[in-house]
Formats: sequence, C-alpha cells, structure tokens
Amino acid sequence: MNRFKLGGILNWIGELFVSIKVGWFLAVQSLRRSSKGTTALIIFIMILTFLNLIVVSGILLGLIAGSFEQFREGYSGDIIITAATGRDYIENSPALVSFLRNHPDVQAISPRYSASVSVLGTLNRLPKKNEQPNRSGGRLVGLDPVSEEEVTGFSRFVVQGEPLAQDDSGYILIGANLLKKYSTFADANIPGLVFLDGVDVGSRVRVTLSQKEGPPIVKDFIVKGVVKSKVDEISTRIFTTDRELKRILPINQEQYQEIAIKADHARVSVLVSDIREFMKDYSVRIQTSEEAIPSFLRDIETTMGMLGNAISSIALVVASITVFIVVFINAVTKRKFIGIMKGIGINPLAIELSYIFQALFYGIVGSAVGLVLTFGFLKPYFDMNPINFPFSDGILVATPEGAAIRVIILLVVTFFAGYIPAKIIVRKNTLDSILGR
Amino acid sequence: MIKAENIIKKFGQGELEFMALKDISLEIKDGEFVAIIGPSGAGKSTLLYQLSLLDEPTSGEVFFQGIRTSKLNQSEKTKLRLNELGYVFQDFALLPELTAVENVALPMLMQGMKHGSALAKAKIALARIGMADKLRNLPSQLSGGQQQRVSIARAIAHDPHILFADEPTANLDSANSRLVMEAFSELNRSGQTIVMVTHEDEYAHRATRIISLRDGELVGDGR
Repeated sequence: MNRFKLGGILNWIGELFVSIKVGWFLAVQSLRRSSKGTTALIIFIMILTFLNLIVVSGILLGLIAGSFEQFREGYSGDIIITAATGRDYIENSPALVSFLRNHPDVQAISPRYSASVSVLGTLNRLPKKNEQPNRSGGRLVGLDPVSEEEVTGFSRFVVQGEPLAQDDSGYILIGANLLKKYSTFADANIPGLVFLDGVDVGSRVRVTLSQKEGPPIVKDFIVKGVVKSKVDEISTRIFTTDRELKRILPINQEQYQEIAIKADHARVSVLVSDIREFMKDYSVRIQTSEEAIPSFLRDIETTMGMLGNAISSIALVVASITVFIVVFINAVTKRKFIGIMKGIGINPLAIELSYIFQALFYGIVGSAVGLVLTFGFLKPYFDMNPINFPFSDGILVATPEGAAIRVIILLVVTFFAGYIPAKIIVRKNTLDSILGR
Repeated sequence: MIKAENIIKKFGQGELEFMALKDISLEIKDGEFVAIIGPSGAGKSTLLYQLSLLDEPTSGEVFFQGIRTSKLNQSEKTKLRLNELGYVFQDFALLPELTAVENVALPMLMQGMKHGSALAKAKIALARIGMADKLRNLPSQLSGGQQQRVSIARAIAHDPHILFADEPTANLDSANSRLVMEAFSELNRSGQTIVMVTHEDEYAHRATRIISLRDGELVGDGR
C-alpha cells in the first residue's frame, strides 16, 4: 500500500515537472512570437500599477515622513530631553549634561533655556484709541550657537539677516511665523493669531518676561535675523544666546528646559536606556525624535497610510482585471488551439501553466522596471527635490522591504489573474473547442 | 487493435434529438489502412471522434488494445491519446506560435522527452515527409499542403499505435492532396495503422479497407 502511494506521488511529481517544462516552453514561444506592441503595452500597465502601489502611498507617507525628518534634523535631534510636565526645568541638568558629553554614543548636544515671553514690535509710539498694540507672544530660547549648529545646523534656517554668534549681546533671531511680513498665515485673518507688524532685521523690539514672583523683566533687543522652517518649534520661537538669557533672567546655572541630542542612529535605543537609568531618580521626559513628534502628525500619518493602502488596493484590482482580461482574450482567441493541444494529449495543467507563466512574465518585468524607476530615479529625485508642501518637504518613502512585499502581492494577484481565465477556457470540452462549437 | 461495440451517438434532446451513429460495431486490426467514407452527414467524423477518444459515445463501448475506454478518466484518456494515438485534422491544426519543428516536437516534450531529443526526432519526422527545409518556418509561412505535412509529422513523430485523420485533404489542392495521400500510403506500408475519414473515392481506394456509412449506419465494410 505504502509502495503504491509512494509510486503514485512520484508519478504525480514527474507529471508535474513535465507539465511545468511544457508550460514554460509554450509560454516562452508565445511571448517571443506575440505582438511586441501588445506585450509592451501590458508591461507598461504593470509598471504603472507597480508605481501606483509604491509611489502614490510612498509620497502620501513621504509628506509626513518629510515633516518627521525636518523635526528631527531641525529641532529635536535624535533624542530630546525636556522638563517633566509641571516642572520649570530639567532636574539634575548639570550632571546630565556632563553625562551626555562623556557618553560614547553622543555626537553632540544642545542644551537650551526657554521661557514664555511677549514681544512688542512698536516702541516709538503708543497705540491709538481702539488700536491693538503691536504685540505677539512666543517662547524665547537661549542656546549656544556653536552647540546648536552641531546638532541642528541652525544657521541654515536664517532667511534674513545673520545667525547668532556666541558673544552676541542684545540680539535675537525671530521666527518667521511671528512676523506679518514673513508668515504664510499672515493673510488668513485667524482670530487670536497676531503678528508683529513692521518688524524686520534691524528692528528694535521689547521682550517682556513675567515672573512667578516680582515684577516682569523687560529688555529691548535688536532683530539680527529671521528664521524660517516648516517646523513650528523654529518658526514660532525667538532665539538668543544662552549667555544672554542667563544674564537677563533669574535662572541658575544650567537649569535647562530642553536638551537636543545628536547620536549614532543605530545606538539611539541604547542611549535612551542609559539616560533613563542615569536619570531614574529625577522627573524628566526623555523621548526619541519619533516619540516627540506631535500626535496630530501621527494621526495624519495614519490617515495617509490608510489613503495610500486604499489607492494601492484599487491599483491592484485594476491590475488584476487588466491581466485577467488580457489572458482571457488571449485564451478565448486560442480556444481552438487549446482544444487541439488537449486532443493530441497535452496535459491541461501544462496549458494552464503556460498562461500563468505569461501573466507572471508581465508582472515580473513590470515590477522589475518599476523597482529600477523607483530606486534608481524617483527616490533619488524626490530626495534631492522634495515636494514643497506648506507643512513639510515631501519625500518618497520607499524601502526595499516594502517594495519586496508589494512585488509579492502584485505577483500573487497576477498569478490568479492568469490562472482563472486559463482554467475557464481549458476546462471546456475538447472536441467542442476543436470544432469551435 | 481498436474495437467498437454497439456505438450509438445522439445529439440534442427531446424533439431536437438526432442520432448520428446507430449501433455501429467494428474492429480495426494493427497495420490496417481504413478509410471511412459516406455522404455528408453520414456520421464519418463522429465515428472517428468516438474511435479516437476525442468524444464519448452515448452508449456502446470502445476498446483500445483490450482496454475498456469508458472506464478511463479524462487524465488517463489524455495520456492514452498522447502515447498511443496520432491526429491529423482537416484544417491542419498547427499551433501558430510554434515553428514546424516545435509543433512536431510538442507531444514528445509532453511525453517527458528531453528538449534536444524531441527536436531531433521531430526533424527526422519532418524529413520523412519531405519538410526538412521548413523546420524553422511558422505555420503562417507555409502553404496549406506544407502545413498538412507538418501536421502528419506531428502525428507520427512519437510513433503512435494508430493514426487518425479527419478529411486530411479537404483543404488542399489536388497536387498537395496526392502528396499527403502518398505519405499515408508510405506510412501504412511501413506498418502504421491509419484510420482516415474522406469523402473522395480516389483517396479512399488507397486504403486497404473501406467502411461506408449512411445516415449513421454502417452500410459497407470491404477491402
């Protein structure tokens, strides 16, 4: 019995092998001698389908990924440490800074002071009756220009004027979204959103800081430059040097509000663990750049992902219908020859496989060309020329793993789109097919 | 040897029912060259399809080498057709995307023969019927007579037990028809069993046995 079963299995495997060989032979000859124009058109459709699968969702996700990247590069670094909720500053700051400066995985750090301030843009006259003062609120950040440059390359955000120098005194850089002249929202007339009118490089402004105790601190600054970025943490803040801020504010040495850390990407999780261990006795918020991203951006990312998947699914359905129709028409027009092949003893499986191989050929070539276009042209192009969106510079998110999954999905869909129509035609009565009835 | 017992073949149902073959019994021995003749609608091709296992009779039985073919499943019938039978169709029935030599080699590839061996044997078969110089031609590049000769080469290349031919000269001019019939005669002289449907007396008389049908009934069986 066992020998009988084994013999049957071996026989079946042998027949399967021969059917694959004959199916391959028929498919190759059919592709070689079919219309080159038709083949090119089908492959073109498969390329477009593949690009639809990978590029559309990649760009949708890339809008947000670009925003994440700018947030990391321009503000948070790889890790950002901030004061815990309800605390004025990062506890144990001096020891933490020292720990970070000596940690082997840390490439650079930028400790920042910050405080809420209001800025008065017009100093030479009082407001008229029923006139709002030319005032806006913001956060004044004191940073070391050299350290900040190492972490975020801060000077690249200066669009007017000059960057800060370490020994500057009496100067600020001001975020473009606080200035009527530079903000992209200035003409939106949004209630509650106020901009400084007439303030530009060289203007004198008055900065007022309210204290918990005692009178507010007031100091005049000269605007040295305007900083602009799609990251709100840059475009809506005011910047001066850490030395200056320590001079004018009643803060102790190294009581920082933020520390941005640039680190070895591969070691970020280890570094976070080390920092948490070091700061286990203190209240502090330690986040990777990913964790620090505002939740509304996460929601947009999820929505974009769903939108991308929906569009990709439609593309897959269109591709499968296209291949189905192509193979079905191909098989219907050759129904007589399929009947003849069955008549002279060609295994129906071999005939079905020939159509599957042809469909897979279209899928594989389409995917291969699509991959070359994606990774050889589109991704480098979008990396060098990001799409200019109001809230981010959109890039193309395409990873080899994601592309491999999409290739597999496309080939599975193509397999069935080739197999089903072939099966429908091949199972028809042999003699009816031969005689065309 | 192939044997038909009480073959009845009906088409349609109810009032539209039509009996194409009425209780046909016959036996064809190895080495015979049988011509099935009769007027149009006599059931010649229908009988050929039953004998060649391309169709199944409504009732009756076809035995091939003693095997009751009604007991075979589709897969076994396909294998039997592949290994034991050869077919020549009226309209040549070559696959348009395969060259002459590939068309002839195809059944042998399905038999599991290696590609090179199948092509070599196909070349021999084509040479045998005078088509050695047209190996790489596609069917569209061949005349009707040449296509039919390729079809014959395909039918005989794998050394079938019986060669079935359904009106093989119907679409050919007289010169090509003679060439095809000479090929059949030559094959039969070398021992090939042939069962051929024809409506042309001239070619039927090249056979060693003539079976006559009329209105689905066997009306003559002579040598």
